[in-house]
Amino acid sequence: MVYMETVAVIFGGRSAEHDVSIVTALASIIKPLELTKKYRVEAVYIAKDGAWYWDDKLKDIKLFTSGGIQDYLHRAQPASVQFDGGMMLVKASGIAGRKQTRKVDLVFPAMHGTYGEDGALMGLLDMTGIPYVGCGVSASAVCMNKVLAKKVALGCGLPVSDYMSFHKSFIERDASTLLKTILKRLTLPLFVKPAHLGSSIGITRATSETELRNALEVAAHYDDEVIVEEEVPNLIEVTLPIMGNDQPKPALLEQPMTKPEDFFDFDTKYLQGGKKGKGTAKGAQGYSQIPADLPKDLYKQAEELGLNVYRVMGCSGIARVDMLIDSKAKKAYFNEVNPLPGGLYAHNWNKAGVSNVELVERLISFAKERHAQRQSLATSFSTNYLQQF
Amino acid sequence: MISKLTSLYRPSYAAALIYMLQSTEYQIRPYLRWVWRTDDFSGVMHRRTLERTRPAKLLLAALSLGMLVQIAAGLLLVYLGIWHNLTGGIAFGLAVLISYPFIWAYLIVLPLVLGRELIARPKEQMLLNESDAIFAKHSGIKIAVAGSYGKTTMKELLTTVLDEGLKVAATPANKNVSISHARFAANLEGDEQVLVIEYGEGAPGDVARFARTTHPTHAVITGLAPAHLDHYKTLQAAGEDIFAVADYLKGKHVYVNGEANAAKPFIKSSYNVFDRHNALGWKVERAHVSLSGIGFVMTKASQELELHSNLIGRHQVGYLAFVAALALELGLSSEQVQHGIAKTKPFEHRMQPYELGGAWVVDDTYNGNLEGIRAGTELLKELKAKRKIYITPGLVDQGEETERVHQEIGRLIAAAHPGIVVLMKNSTTDFIKNGLKAGDFKGELRIESDPLDFYTNLKHFVAAGDLVVMQNDWPDNYA
Repeated sequence: MVYMETVAVIFGGRSAEHDVSIVTALASIIKPLELTKKYRVEAVYIAKDGAWYWDDKLKDIKLFTSGGIQDYLHRAQPASVQFDGGMMLVKASGIAGRKQTRKVDLVFPAMHGTYGEDGALMGLLDMTGIPYVGCGVSASAVCMNKVLAKKVALGCGLPVSDYMSFHKSFIERDASTLLKTILKRLTLPLFVKPAHLGSSIGITRATSETELRNALEVAAHYDDEVIVEEEVPNLIEVTLPIMGNDQPKPALLEQPMTKPEDFFDFDTKYLQGGKKGKGTAKGAQGYSQIPADLPKDLYKQAEELGLNVYRVMGCSGIARVDMLIDSKAKKAYFNEVNPLPGGLYAHNWNKAGVSNVELVERLISFAKERHAQRQSLATSFSTNYLQQF
Repeated sequence: MISKLTSLYRPSYAAALIYMLQSTEYQIRPYLRWVWRTDDFSGVMHRRTLERTRPAKLLLAALSLGMLVQIAAGLLLVYLGIWHNLTGGIAFGLAVLISYPFIWAYLIVLPLVLGRELIARPKEQMLLNESDAIFAKHSGIKIAVAGSYGKTTMKELLTTVLDEGLKVAATPANKNVSISHARFAANLEGDEQVLVIEYGEGAPGDVARFARTTHPTHAVITGLAPAHLDHYKTLQAAGEDIFAVADYLKGKHVYVNGEANAAKPFIKSSYNVFDRHNALGWKVERAHVSLSGIGFVMTKASQELELHSNLIGRHQVGYLAFVAALALELGLSSEQVQHGIAKTKPFEHRMQPYELGGAWVVDDTYNGNLEGIRAGTELLKELKAKRKIYITPGLVDQGEETERVHQEIGRLIAAAHPGIVVLMKNSTTDFIKNGLKAGDFKGELRIESDPLDFYTNLKHFVAAGDLVVMQNDWPDNYA
């Protein structure tokens, strides 16, 4: 009998993007992985209260869409994870108090936002010493902090739009002074964002001082760090999914079909199927043009910027780089990086000639490649330091 | 093992038996063969479920009642055995109880046989006698369409194009046996200028009988290939039956597809042969094929006719050219012919292209013969794509030719150089694999055990730039 590697897909989590994570895991990861028939796929769900569950029933989207998950959580016993010599899932089997266990060979994180995409889960997985898909701890932490990511990009000479950032205590302490400081340095309209959240949660476009004050309060409600960015004039927003480790390969530049005032908030992105834009299809695929309709040189410029950002942030496996283009000045600016694109941006990869099944298989192979590279590094160093005490 | 055995005693067992009858069109032999082959009845209704038509409901009610009576009789015997010391009551009662699924799997065919012999057959015979007279009296041109493959396509092409200038009636969908012809005749208005009648051969003597009852004036033979060999046994026997319509017409107004190699030994000098290069004296040139259709030019003396059809596949050129040439012979103008040909489009599941996640899929799942496979693999070879994928479970009803035909299929697939071949696991898979090996196939081979699951999830396997040709699909009773 052929040995099948066990891949644990971890999704859900204590994050504002909990629900997006469920769709990413079930539609874009678990199904294609099972279709490869090469892996035993285990669904590991982290509920909103942080409890872990491991069950085949969690692979059924109807459990979540029907609201049946609440009943399930009342009845089911949470699972636990053991880290002795790798990673082992453990749960009560329901038969004579016996435990059911499964050794995990590889983890496919499908968690967006806090505790998942920000490097927290990656740190835990690094400790287990097993391979996992996607960016590592440092890249995830940098990418998920919009302020830090801009600083890294600037430090590497990559173009970013003008911005300022603040801790939420500044807003709470003296919002009026803060507003004056912002408006002295930056020109309206401005985008106000929580520094760590993805999926456009908590983002506001402010065109007046009053709107800016409200926007700061909204952002501070979600995050303790807030970033305020100047709007790029003659704006074309583009995003570029990228895959790979040392030699990253881009998919296709994607251009959301919205006006700046109709920027993508969570509702537009995931609930309205891009109704504010021109797209007609439902869900996150309906609001954009692939490939983006840009002059060749501008397309190339944005693609190169995206690849450079991917490299300087230390991304591996997969990520998506968002950029802002001033169409008159013909200049692309780095905006932010998403280390785990929603749904893996499979719709874009499909158009680039990569099927859903190929996408997950390639990501697994990148995870193994990176793991093998890390395994070859020395992790111990002999000294006589202790003997001196 | 236990779950297989318990599947006989589940409440859904009765519905499964009626579903099997329905799926085999209430034919007793295929039904019984399916019953003998099946060891887990819980998986029978895999692709579809029982369609609750009136006959199905009646049969299900009869079957359920019969089973309940037997269960009650068994329980009564056990009761009498225990409480009234009936000799052998317990043993016999248990035997009656245990045996009901087996007994009723066979007893259910009894009402079918009786119904068929006592009600349906006499009624059908009456209808057939009436239709014989209707066809004989009808003054229109009666075109019989016969062949192992391509009949429905030819019938639809003739109907679409001739309808541009003549009043045409054709047998509906794939209704192509005697009783369908009779029902078709009963609905005729009498003033039709052309009747197109499809002959669905299934066993020796069928086509000769259809010819005697429908009185054709013209016949088109679309091709000959191994099909229904479980009844015909040999290709020669199938050919003899199909060409019986040409004998009926004494060779006059007989048109034969010259691209059907197997048909060549049956062709006589009086027959008109057409192919992708010539049709009824017209020369066919400059044919080009793409996923948006076929274009070609027909020339005869100083006349030139440029045609475009939405059908796909080079193998359609001969059919289209013949239909255009016949339409001109029957008095249609060039414009009418051009318009008619432009209206022709792929039929459902027959070389029907559609886009899936940026990939192009050619759905030819209704194909069921080797020549169709030849056409599909030719198309795959001819069209450009970043990645080519070919999917098939193989062919059914190939009788003793099964191994040879499937090895040939493997060679044809290999010659089209697909990057990926997907086969559905069944009795023919190894033969196709041997053919792929003989054809030096170097791509990826996937064997799928659940066709339905694979077809349902096809979107996960394809991406932009892919070309997928999907041929043949086995219904539940073959899987």
